[in-house]
This record gives sequence, C-alpha cells and structure tokens, in this order.
Amino acid sequence: MGKYTLIITEKPDAASRIASALDAEGKAKKIVEKGVPYYMAKRSGDIVVVPALGHLYTIASKKRGKRSYPVFDFHWVPRYLAERGATRIRTWLKVISNLAESAAKFIDACDYDIEGSIIGYSILKYACGNKESLAQRMKYSTLTKEELEKSYTKPLARLDFALIEAGLTRHEVDWLYGINLSRALTTAAKNCSGKYVTLSTGRVQGPTLKLLETRERRIKCFVPTPYWSLKAKVKIGGAVFEAEYKKKVIQIKAEAEAIINSCKGEDGETEKIEMKEFQQTPPLPFNLGSLQSEAYRLFRYTPMRTSRIAQRLYLDALISYPRTSSQKLPPIIEYEAILKKLSKTHEYAKLTAELLAKPALKPTEGKKKDPAHPAIYPTGNMPDRILNSAERNIWDLVVRRFMAVFGELAILQRAKVTISINENRFQLHGRQTLKEGWLRFYKPYLKSEDAILPPMKEGKKVGVKRVVLEDKFTKPPSRYNPSSLLRRMEKEEIGTKATRAGIIQKLHSRRYIREESIVVTELGFEVVDVLKKYCPAVVSIELTRKLEESMNEIQQGKETRENVLKDTIEILKPVTEKLIEKEHIIGASLSQALQKAKLEERVVGACPICKNGKLVLLRSRKTGKRFIGCTNYFEGTCKTSFPIPQKGLVKPLGNVCKNCGWHTVWIWIKGKRSWNLCFNPKCPLKEERKEKL
Amino acid sequence: MPIKRRAEGKALKCKVCERDAAKRDFCLVHLEAYEKMVEKYVVWAKALKTSWREYLSEIEQNPLTGEWIREVTSYLINNEETRNVKEG
Repeated sequence: MGKYTLIITEKPDAASRIASALDAEGKAKKIVEKGVPYYMAKRSGDIVVVPALGHLYTIASKKRGKRSYPVFDFHWVPRYLAERGATRIRTWLKVISNLAESAAKFIDACDYDIEGSIIGYSILKYACGNKESLAQRMKYSTLTKEELEKSYTKPLARLDFALIEAGLTRHEVDWLYGINLSRALTTAAKNCSGKYVTLSTGRVQGPTLKLLETRERRIKCFVPTPYWSLKAKVKIGGAVFEAEYKKKVIQIKAEAEAIINSCKGEDGETEKIEMKEFQQTPPLPFNLGSLQSEAYRLFRYTPMRTSRIAQRLYLDALISYPRTSSQKLPPIIEYEAILKKLSKTHEYAKLTAELLAKPALKPTEGKKKDPAHPAIYPTGNMPDRILNSAERNIWDLVVRRFMAVFGELAILQRAKVTISINENRFQLHGRQTLKEGWLRFYKPYLKSEDAILPPMKEGKKVGVKRVVLEDKFTKPPSRYNPSSLLRRMEKEEIGTKATRAGIIQKLHSRRYIREESIVVTELGFEVVDVLKKYCPAVVSIELTRKLEESMNEIQQGKETRENVLKDTIEILKPVTEKLIEKEHIIGASLSQALQKAKLEERVVGACPICKNGKLVLLRSRKTGKRFIGCTNYFEGTCKTSFPIPQKGLVKPLGNVCKNCGWHTVWIWIKGKRSWNLCFNPKCPLKEERKEKL
Repeated sequence: MPIKRRAEGKALKCKVCERDAAKRDFCLVHLEAYEKMVEKYVVWAKALKTSWREYLSEIEQNPLTGEWIREVTSYLINNEETRNVKEG
C-alpha cells in the first residue's frame, strides 16, 4: 500500500463505523497488529482508520518517583509512564507511530468536544511527530454513513486550537489542584496513622462535597415542628371527594380543633367554582444533563449509567452525540428525514405520521447552545442488534422526546371549587386535559394524570361525610440523589457535562458519601472541615465558577493558558504551605475520621431489641466467625446477636425488610447470585416459607 | 478553640461525643444542634403548649429528627439536664 490518509478516532467502535462508512463497498478490512485494531478502507484513495483508547497521554510531575508536594512542574507524557497497569498503551502508541510514518495526510476524527480534541491533538503531536498543524478535522454529530461521508469530504481545514488550548488548561488546572490537595490529605493521614489510604479532592470534587455537606448538616440538625391540616370528605354525585382546608398549614392545634368543632354536623355549600385554562408548552430537546435527570426520574438509572448507555447508542448510530449541553435542534439535521425513518417502526408510525402531516416542523428549543453539537436526537436508524432493556428505554425516551418537541401546545383546564362548611372554606381541585398536543408523544413518561370533577353549580348543597384532622410534621430537606446533585452542579456551573457524573462516582469510591439517596460520611465531613478551615478557597463554588469562566474565555480567545495557570499556582502556593504547616493536626483528625468511617461501614442499623444500641458486623475473637451484634454488648446491657453466612461479601444495605422492618444486609458469594438477607429469625416471611415447606 | 481545663491543661471533651468542646461543653456540631433545639422549642410551645421535657421526649421519638439533634436530646434526657433551658 502506498501513501494513505490516516484517520484518528477516539475509540475502536468509532473507528470500525467510520471505516465502514467511508469504504466504497462498505467493507473496511480489519487488521490487528500486536493486539491493536485498525481498519483499511478504499475510496478515492487509501484510508487507514486507527483508534485511540481514550486518552493516551496524560499529565505527570517532572520529578519522577516522589510523592511529595507541592508540585507545580509538569509535562504531558504517554499514559504508561504515569499510570500503573497502562502498559498496553505503549504498544498502542507504537502501532500509531508506525502507521503515521507512511501517511500522507492526517485527519482527526475524535469526538468534537474538549476531551476528543485533546486526544486527537496529543496523538498527532507526540505519536505522529508534530503533525497537529497539518491535520484536518472531521466534525460530525452522528455516526450515520451520510454524515460521516459528508464530514470526510468536507473536513475543517485545521484543528480547533482554541478548544484544544481550553481543554489542555482544564486538564492542567485540575491536575494541579488534584495532585497537591490530594497528596496533602493522603500524606497527613498516612504520617499520623502509619496506614496508607488514598484521600482525594480537587477543583470540582471539593465544592461538590461541600454542597452535599451543607445539606447533610441541615438534615442532621433538623428539628421537626408540628402542624395540622384539615380535609373534608364531601359527597358529590354519589362519589366521595377530599377537599382541603383553605389554609394548608395550621400551626396551632387548638385552632385546628376549633375549626373541626364548628364543622360538626354541618352541610357544605359550593360557594365558588373557578375554571382556568392553561397551556403546557412542549418540553425542550434533551442535552446530556436533562437526559440523565429524566432517566433517573423514570428508570432510576444513575447519571453515569445513562451516560454510558447513551454513548453506546451513539456508537451504534442510533442517537446523536450525547455529551452536549445544547438545547437546540437546527434544521440541518433534517427533521423530516428522521421522522420518515422512524415511521418504519410500528410503535412510532402513527405518531410520526401526525407530525409529518403538519405544514411545517418547528421544534421547541431552549436557550442553551453548544458550539460543537446540537441537542440529542435520534438518527432515525433502526437498531441492527437486539438492544437490552436499558438501551431500549433510553432510545425510546430520546425518540419520544424528539417527537414531543415538535408537538402542539397542550391545553389543560384546572378547576377550583370552594366549599363552605359553616363559614369554613375548603377547596376541591380538579384537572382535565382539553387538548393533548405534545402530551400524546410523551405519554408513557408523563408525571400527572387528570382528576376530573363531576359537574357542579354554585350555591348547591354538598353532603359532608366528615372533617379529618391530620397531624403532620415539617420535613427535613430532601437528600440529594445522583440526578438532583447533577442538576445542582449544572446550576452552579461546576464541572462540565462530561465530568459531573464521574465526580459523583469518585465521591462514592472515596467513601466520602454513601447510598443512592446521598449521605455524607464522617470522612466526608472531616475532609470538608479540613478544607474549609485551612484552604476555604478550594471549596468555594465562586472560585470554581470563575475558573470555568476563564477556561471558556480561552476558548473564545479572550484569555491565555499561561495566565490561568499562573493564577492557579498563585492560589495553590499559600494553600499548600498552610497544609504542610498544619499537617499534624490535619492528619490526626483525618485518621480519626477514617477509623469512624470504617466503623460506620460496618453498622447495619439500630438494634431492634435494646433500641439504643447499633447492630454492627463483628468477628468473634474466640472462633474467628463473623456475626451481627449490638454495640451495647460492650456496655453489658444488650446481648443481641445474629448469625450470618461465613462465606462471601457482606455489606449493610441501609434499608429495611418489607415484612418485619428490621435492617437487611447484602450477601454475595462468588459464583452465586447476590441476595438481601433479613437476619430476623422470626421474620413473618420466613415463618410463612417454613409453613409452606 | 477548645475550652481547656485550667488545672489539667487538657482540652475538655463534648458532653455528647469525643470531639473537643467549644462552648457550653458541647463540640461545634452538638452546639449547633442544641441551639437549633432551643430555637424550635418556641414553635412547639406555641403549637402544643408542651413543656421542655415533653418536647425533648417528642423529638427524640420522632423519626424525622436529625441525628445530631437526637444525640443531644438523648444526652439531655438521660442526664436530667432538662430544667435549665425551660426555666432559663
């Protein structure tokens, strides 16, 4: 083979798809060299498509081998030099370098975003021998044949250097924060306890943890206060409806009781009927954040999981590029063509026909823009493999949302009936859809249903069955879940669409937070305390947001990489000095928190026998066997203990058995399916099973 | 700064936990909880005419009560420190 065009992609799947799309016969040849796959395609000339494996280059300290801090001198190196276990990268880079030697033309076809741009740039610069200034750029938002061919025949003349510069700065700033602060925490804890535990924090991690800590603090310091609400059960047209007292919160019990007394034995009268029509505009097209939120609301998929599924659907050319913040769907994506393709599926045929019959298709759009990609939309392609249920769910969600954005306004009617019972006003609420509009397209995923009231007239008598007093308490602020935390991060503008889900995952893996409904652990509290006390700037949302702004300015050519890095080092220098000075105190409190966190992980729940002890996973010193026992055993006040399986992994679940209300543990034995164990020997479910046997 | 016992020179510990005490023999965490409890007692007293002692026992049993509040409440109930606030 003579000279060829070398195309670099981000991942092997993308390489395979691009090669097949560009090959004149649609059959690119796969070659595997030393375990590295690449593809040869023939078009007007020879094309070689070689994939990366995500980032092949990373930042490392110039001083090798030492885990000291502060570190402000760094350089970009192949990943195998900086990370243990990345030996495969060495071969990978060698294969790319060899292929680059015989290439006449270079095209970067990595995803058109910050990460993709850095991946392509660093390979062209370091592995291909400074070819970054000669390379062209393919820009596409879907992996469909048509779009790939178009982006190949009309590539951008050069790489997007502004985007690359911004991306490199982001990586370097994050590295400076991460390495210095994480090493400070880890070293402090290690020097105090003698044990090595990785503790980390960073430019986004710190402020995110602080957000969680503030909420947790409010929950832990919450005092419920009593209030009362009243409901009148009224009989209208043979059916019983619940009308709410006009004042929803009554703060004094005597006041609520007085109202009940005055309603006793009285009939009601419909005093006022108010009807109000209102419109519901179609939803906005999905960007990554809103797709992650919706997938969590509907299917309870974590943002990370949704992101992974969306990436797979993108690689299968079923949806457009998912890591976008755009809420725009430009006409260039060809709405009609997509709908026509979707109409081939029985499920969407009727709905798409309805849209295609419209004189013009105009999507509802939001304000957010993304210079690189439009909002997420289906390509119209049908899956060429069987999708698993999670993939199917996300795909259907994207398709239905896409159709819904072209729908008409929905018109609904709200009814408010005021019923007077001895001068006490109660309200009955109803809701009815008058015109479905876009709701038809998004039906399976809608939240509320209609509540239709029977026909009523003002001044008519209404039978009152009874008035009920409900004792209530104010509730603590709700805990963040992965979806609401992601939304908050987005609102506060901390992190990027591509990194937010990973940050949440990292906080979990560092044991700063636990459970899906996020609880901050003792360790999480301690890390925030240390950061707040000794380097408040690094947990400040303001500072993080300012840095994000600077990086956006680099992309727009208004700021330079050198300036931002200089500012970062100026912030970090005094911070690290203070951390070194206080290392002993910080180490002591972190070690204590680590110990508490370890204990916290073993806590199963409150002891159901003595009520004030805690059940923990223990191991007998005599027999070496593990069991669940009460902490009050050591005080000599409770001898409660339960046996658990001796093999496999045991983890407290944090939730209770549906049948007896006791806490449960999760058990996993290698080669078997994991199960949730209720250790209550008298659990009604167990008794039931015994009886059946 | 932790309160120091003059004679011993050791930092005084919180009445509820092992942390260093900051004020009123509580650490910062439990002090915040204690102050919140005192603040909310006004609402309870107005709503139900409850005494301080009844208030403590109500919030101790309430599942919505925050963990730190519960810890302070349990301490106050078990150590008969219930009069100080009501009358103070």
